[in-house]
Amino acid sequence: MSSLSSFRNEALLELRRPHERERLLAALAELDAAATIEVPVIIGGDRRLEPGLDSVDPGNPDRVVAVATVATMTEVDAAVDAATLAACGWAATPAVERAAILARAAGELRNRRYELAALAVRECAKPWAEADADVCEAIDFIEYYAAQAVVLDAGPELVQLPGERNSLHYRPRGVVAVIAPWNFPIAIATGMTVAGLATGNAVCLKPAEQSPGCALAIVEALERAGLPAGAISLLPGEGEVGAALAGHPGVHTIAFTGSGAVGLEILRHAAEPAEGQRHLKRVVAEMGGKNCIIVDADADLDDVVPEVLASAFGFAGQKCSAAARVLVHERVADHFAERLRGALDTLLVGQAESFGTDVPPLIEVSSRERVERVVAAAVADGAAVHRVERVPNGGGYFAAPTVVVGPGPDAAVVREEIFGPVVTVEPVADVAAACDLVDQQAHALTGGLFSRNPRTIAAVARRTPVGNLYVNRGTTGAMVGRQPFGGNRLSGTGTKAGGPDYLLHFVEPVVVTENTVRHGLAP
Amino acid sequence: MPETLLPSPPENGPADLEPEVLALGRELGSQRFSVRAAKRGAHDRAMALVSSDEQLRAALFRLVDVAPACAGNAELAEHLAAYLDAVEDDGLPVALGSRAADSRAFSRVSGQVAATMVRRMASRFIVGESIADAEPVLRRLWRQGTAVTVDLLGEATVTHAEGQAYADRCDEALRMLALASGRWPERPLLEHDSIGAVPRVNLSVKVTALTPLTRAEAPERAREDAAGHLRRLLRRAQEVDGHLHVDMESMDSRELILDLVLDLLDEPEFRAGPSVGLVLQAYLRDSEEMLDKILARTLAAGRELPLTVRLVKGAYWDHETIEAAQNGWVPPVWTEKAESDRCFERLSRRLLDAYPLVRTAIASHNLRSVAHALAYGRRLGLAPGDLEVQVLRGLGDDLQDAVTAAGLRCRTYCPVGDIVAGMAYLVRRLLENTSNASFLASRASGSDLEELLCRP
Repeated sequence: MSSLSSFRNEALLELRRPHERERLLAALAELDAAATIEVPVIIGGDRRLEPGLDSVDPGNPDRVVAVATVATMTEVDAAVDAATLAACGWAATPAVERAAILARAAGELRNRRYELAALAVRECAKPWAEADADVCEAIDFIEYYAAQAVVLDAGPELVQLPGERNSLHYRPRGVVAVIAPWNFPIAIATGMTVAGLATGNAVCLKPAEQSPGCALAIVEALERAGLPAGAISLLPGEGEVGAALAGHPGVHTIAFTGSGAVGLEILRHAAEPAEGQRHLKRVVAEMGGKNCIIVDADADLDDVVPEVLASAFGFAGQKCSAAARVLVHERVADHFAERLRGALDTLLVGQAESFGTDVPPLIEVSSRERVERVVAAAVADGAAVHRVERVPNGGGYFAAPTVVVGPGPDAAVVREEIFGPVVTVEPVADVAAACDLVDQQAHALTGGLFSRNPRTIAAVARRTPVGNLYVNRGTTGAMVGRQPFGGNRLSGTGTKAGGPDYLLHFVEPVVVTENTVRHGLAP
Repeated sequence: MPETLLPSPPENGPADLEPEVLALGRELGSQRFSVRAAKRGAHDRAMALVSSDEQLRAALFRLVDVAPACAGNAELAEHLAAYLDAVEDDGLPVALGSRAADSRAFSRVSGQVAATMVRRMASRFIVGESIADAEPVLRRLWRQGTAVTVDLLGEATVTHAEGQAYADRCDEALRMLALASGRWPERPLLEHDSIGAVPRVNLSVKVTALTPLTRAEAPERAREDAAGHLRRLLRRAQEVDGHLHVDMESMDSRELILDLVLDLLDEPEFRAGPSVGLVLQAYLRDSEEMLDKILARTLAAGRELPLTVRLVKGAYWDHETIEAAQNGWVPPVWTEKAESDRCFERLSRRLLDAYPLVRTAIASHNLRSVAHALAYGRRLGLAPGDLEVQVLRGLGDDLQDAVTAAGLRCRTYCPVGDIVAGMAYLVRRLLENTSNASFLASRASGSDLEELLCRP
């Protein structure tokens, strides 16, 4: 895998340098000065524009960032038909050529990285560092999968004996439906899309209704790179467009990242072949988490407090990898809780575009309502609830970052995935007790452990059910190729985005065995 | 503009300076080798042994690091055993140690030994738990002819309350040091240079300990928050006639610290005082531009007292290179030690050229770097007290004695604080102490003086 060993993650912008910050602000000013982005339905290279669905700035909902055309059911059918048609030619294109086109698409994103980061700031209220990381991760996914698809194309070695020739080749499965989330509006949509394309599938992309502008940028990059029309379609809209696409009998693989409820619905539906459907659908689903960080008594709280803060409140907790519960050894629990509460007070809630902002607004009003409901329940239960006092008023969907100390074991704040800036602190007798709590959860996406005992680290690594365990660091920020990412249990189908075996979910192996003996003669 | 006022010297400095550098280096070096030879004890030998085995070194550092978080000797022993697991057993005794440390009887003993060892190591680098506790050491140093600067160790600041507490401790330290140092005997070399008085009271402060708001991409937040604390400390320093030295830390806080201090020095209130210092890190690739900025701003500020610039190599090299590699950045630091050494010499010359606009403190344990700066100062006709050498307590003791014996001003950086809070500092010092490039390692491996004095 020589092409993979040379893979390097796209360099993040060095935001501690003033000139980089100035350049980003200039890109944002330019974006603001430009006309509202109009997102068409794109099928087979054809565009239909009939703006109907607003995508607004979560920090100022009066500002419309993009207006999307809502795909009709007929268009969903047409897109799958176009993909079916395009898939043949694209599958026949040599993997190296496909990789070259995708590499050009990565270049397109790279050329626009300041502009795209600004777009993620506006459309999804991603703070700058995370918006930039989102663009970089998209580039990483493209380059990593493109290189990997070339390696995969050669097929693995099989056992060979005289008189027979065995070969295994991976074939694209056909049409991939990508149903993407808004929280990594460029990276995740790009990753799932490109995994399908690199392996020779055609893709229909249904972006989140909150981030069609970012999705359009991805499709534009692929088009400019020379991807054949039809190999990528863009179907903006709300839930019913995604449902229609996932349910289409012409779709072979569904790549989904989003809520557990929708993911389970897709899995259920996909299991039942439609009338005349001659294949089983495969589902790659990345769903939620309720992620715990375990803090042992020997942990260095100087490190733990800032890492917990970043893991729980970065992007207002709207990452599936975000920390939701801190399970802390009772010996240091009080001291930790006191420092965490004090540290909470240092968080600045504000607009994503300000470099000083720690916690941006939530994506939409219903997110804020969910947070307020769960926090109110915790207060009613008598838990010690500490919140940031100063939150901007005005139209943005701001929610106060919240630490809940000592909630009851059945409290909503402990049970529900909140997807917002709320973290609980729960004292535990020891690390084993913390592991028991983690084990009782239905979700198993990320986990954290702070300990300075190598034996403790090894023991937790052995028994943890989570897909990604982070030791002595925060639980967010997985990097392509370095931290393949994905959860177990109800958190997902156990796939690892940005990992060495992700592409296998987009292909079907075919083995050819030829008898080479003729009249007793073998070559 | 400072460029016209202070022309940049040639890249490698005057070639004919070399004989003086070597002569001074030999003088200091021979002093340095002899002064403490008799005092050198088990600790040095242990450190030399530890530096020869990287895995053992890592195990030891991790033990030192975790010691304060352990509730008792048994817990410490448990960690020791776990760290020794990782040490490959071509050294049989170590493997035995790991197994032995697991046994109950041994665990008590090994825990006790480890606890004692950690405490003794700490006491080598940390002069006391409080100013009162440290005062006898500071006084003894002063009597012996060595000046001091005090650094208050503490937990990282993650809350406003912690920032306030650190500021309060600094304020108290200034007052207590003023009180104590008033009773110290006169030491003209330590208290005067050609410009005038050099304060006895000298406190080093960390901006990131004053504020929990350090954000690399938003320096203004910490700057605004720390300014209040720092103004108060400047006023106190002014009142007690002390010197306030603002330390530099990692790149993530560099911009904020530099701008914060330079902005404060522009304020009319501080035009007449107190004496203030900044740090310049020679391992940064853009350190020359930093110096340009410092000189230009200092000149423009027109303060009555010179700014002191402490020139260091920089103590966050590993952090900077790892962070840069993980983020795909060009490292902000020189990657070759010789590049830092050459940069240090260029900056030394430029700083000394700028006297009396700035006072220079050469803070390095590298004999060559120190000798070079002293020789250049002499060439410029500066008096012996017009620049000072600074060393770290516990790490530069040999050099401190040699510089003092040579009739020059040495100021020793003395950390004060409890062992728990001091651990991060301690581990960083230990790392330096045992790094391959360190002086101690070269002494242990028998490199000779002439080699140490070679032009980088």
